Amino acid sequence: MMAKRLPGTSRPLRLSRPPAVALVCLGLFLLCCAFVPRFATFGNIENVLRVASILCVVACGQAVVILLGGIEFSFGASAALASVVTVMALPVLGPVGGLATGGASVIAIGAVNGFLVGRLALPPVIVTLGTLMMASGAAAWLVGGLPIDAPPSAAFSWPARGRVLGVPVPILAALLACAALHLMLAHGRIGRLWYHVGANPVAARLAGLDVTRITTLGYAVAGAFCAVGAIILTSRVASGQPALAPNLPFETIAACAIGGLPLSGGRGRVSQVVFGVLTVAMLNNAVVLINLPVAWQLVLLGLAVLAAVGLQKDWAVLARLARRTDR
Amino acid sequence: MSASDDAPSDDTRDDLALVATGIAKVYGATCALRSARLALRRGRVHALLGENGAGKSTLVKILVGAVTPDAGHIALAGAPVAFGSVTQAIRAGIVPIYQHLSLFPELSIHENLSAFALAAGGGLWTGRRLVDPARARGWLKEVGLDVDLAAPLGSLSLGERQLVEVARALSLDCRVLVLDEPTAALNADEADRLFAVVRRLCASGTAALFISHRFDEIEALADEVTVLRDGRTVIDAAPIGRHSREELTHAMLGAGVEAAPARLSERAAPVLVGRGLAAGRHGRGSLDVIVHAGEIVGLAGLIGSGALSLAATLGGAQAGPGELSVGDASFMPGDRRRAAALGIAYVPADRHAEGLFGALSARRNASVSGLGRLARLGWLRARAEAQMVDPLLRRLKLHPALPEAEAATFSGGNQQKLLIARGLAVPGLKAMVLLEPTRGVDVAARGVIHDAIREAAASGVAVLVATSDLDELMVLAHRYLVVREGTLAAELPRSAPRAALLAALSGSAAA
Repeated sequence: MMAKRLPGTSRPLRLSRPPAVALVCLGLFLLCCAFVPRFATFGNIENVLRVASILCVVACGQAVVILLGGIEFSFGASAALASVVTVMALPVLGPVGGLATGGASVIAIGAVNGFLVGRLALPPVIVTLGTLMMASGAAAWLVGGLPIDAPPSAAFSWPARGRVLGVPVPILAALLACAALHLMLAHGRIGRLWYHVGANPVAARLAGLDVTRITTLGYAVAGAFCAVGAIILTSRVASGQPALAPNLPFETIAACAIGGLPLSGGRGRVSQVVFGVLTVAMLNNAVVLINLPVAWQLVLLGLAVLAAVGLQKDWAVLARLARRTDR
Repeated sequence: MSASDDAPSDDTRDDLALVATGIAKVYGATCALRSARLALRRGRVHALLGENGAGKSTLVKILVGAVTPDAGHIALAGAPVAFGSVTQAIRAGIVPIYQHLSLFPELSIHENLSAFALAAGGGLWTGRRLVDPARARGWLKEVGLDVDLAAPLGSLSLGERQLVEVARALSLDCRVLVLDEPTAALNADEADRLFAVVRRLCASGTAALFISHRFDEIEALADEVTVLRDGRTVIDAAPIGRHSREELTHAMLGAGVEAAPARLSERAAPVLVGRGLAAGRHGRGSLDVIVHAGEIVGLAGLIGSGALSLAATLGGAQAGPGELSVGDASFMPGDRRRAAALGIAYVPADRHAEGLFGALSARRNASVSGLGRLARLGWLRARAEAQMVDPLLRRLKLHPALPEAEAATFSGGNQQKLLIARGLAVPGLKAMVLLEPTRGVDVAARGVIHDAIREAAASGVAVLVATSDLDELMVLAHRYLVVREGTLAAELPRSAPRAALLAALSGSAAA
């Protein structure tokens, strides 16, 4: 009987179990539909998805870093810097070139973070806080503290407002980002290596893996996800904003934590990130619709994160207890 | 030898400072202590011996109140005690001196000496008073330190800091001094000074428990010795000198089973060659090790001898002097990535910290070193992975036979099988370096792992096994290399008797 299960090559195709957060997400959706006025309208749902899509793209990057056992605080600041760089490059390089330059700056910051964490073994919290402050400062310095407007153009607003076959571009970008991350994590070599380094970096080194390179690449790929999010954000606000998305790192970390990714690394699936993002987006939307002050978004989000992490810990304890009584 | 020396089991004698009997402690599935006994007498230095995993550190933790035992009794000067915390134990007079110093380098010597008084102090403000400088100077004088009370502790050498720690013990009514490998960071002079202080303290009636791996120190300082093996006391408070080093080593390692004959393959070309290596941090780079194709070399050494460190160096896992080569290709010590690429498998000694990916599946644990071969254009072929690893897991009788279950859910023996499978799956396997391959592993898994190691050797792989388990050494190795105090002390053929191995391990003259 045991031997039959071992080959594994002829395993029947089965869908993997949905993550626990899917239930939470569904429950919140039903609650919102029932009790939040104007939530269950087509326009509002599309609006939630639009907001969620940007968050989702960036959260995919955050998930890579968390998988590696790290954490990324610099996303919001680098997105802000990207918007400033984009608008300043606009007159010279045009809309496409400008957005590409802005995106490249985010990837560069990600790669620097990766180098500092991977090669120099500095703690990720400190490294990404450092780059957060530098990017934030640089963005404010470049524009002299005030936002600068971008001249309106169709190409420039396409990432935020365009549609492909009726689907808004940001939602399409989120779907593509999820698909790309899923391929990397489930079937790609690099994703597998991220899991190994996140689960036990010492064992990864002794197994012969190049931990430095894997980590550096992970932060750079995370930067690439964030770059896509930054391009959409910049296009949406049509200006260079030195304080563009200060809560972006917190919201993406919250999405991953609510999704059930342990911050110790080594575990996580794309579906968890998606449901975590949807939960965060619905919470934010509900706060606005119920006419609570917007500041409550952060309060609620913080509560949700604490609850999620607390539950995770609880579940782990329960699982361990169950295992002990098994023996 | 007087009659009183021969009656260690009499717990009613009034010179007993501390008696612990029937101490047991279970951690999950591991039985750290089964039935340990330890009796310390006033005014005597008592050495505690035991190999790694014998339960020594657990027993010490129980004595100092850091761990609560599951069973057993502890009596301090005849009165039963049960400590809920280290603080309680310290107040009762059991004062630990740790190898990792528990002092505060940024604070002054005076403040450090006052630490216990401050901890005992009641309120937020009332407790902040330092101890009387005259008393503090008295303690320092007693341990032979002539230093300024106001100087920061950090300005002292490590040896002097350890003496400050002993002086601090004097601030309490210290009845039992627990010295856990106190000389690990000291040079010979500093160690001598510490010993003199301990002897002087004991002369005034304090009992001392002394944990060390160095026979020279034990013979120099201790009056009595207790040996733990497998969670039990096997030698109970014997006077030093009654047992030879060899007998003590034997007691620590166990009588074990008779060696089963292993198939000896013919000597072939050298495969894994190390030149100018060092064993341990302080060793000089002067050791040469050659492992031939098809050969299993047993690297033996007591804890602290440097045997594990030398093996880690040979596996490319630890940096150090010297150079290594496998076949025609050479690599530097510490370049584990290149070593793996050249076909050297490495099984680390600490399964959980250095080996296992607990969150990942059994199959992924086993395949990690062969991922390069499984990927095509960055795409992992799941079928190829299963084909590479699953036969190995079957051969090692992984139980339960669920390659997709998380590694953390398997028992210790089966987790170890995953590490062995990982080694066997290294592409182009030429050599295997295994550290303590069956530590904490049940008998069945041990047999399977030993068979797999022998099979690998029979197929021409050069194998080096470093182990402190003498039985394992004798059933596996074709020849033995004995490491002692950072040097290769002896090379013995397979036919060498157990006594010769024990003699070489402990460094006693009689072979």
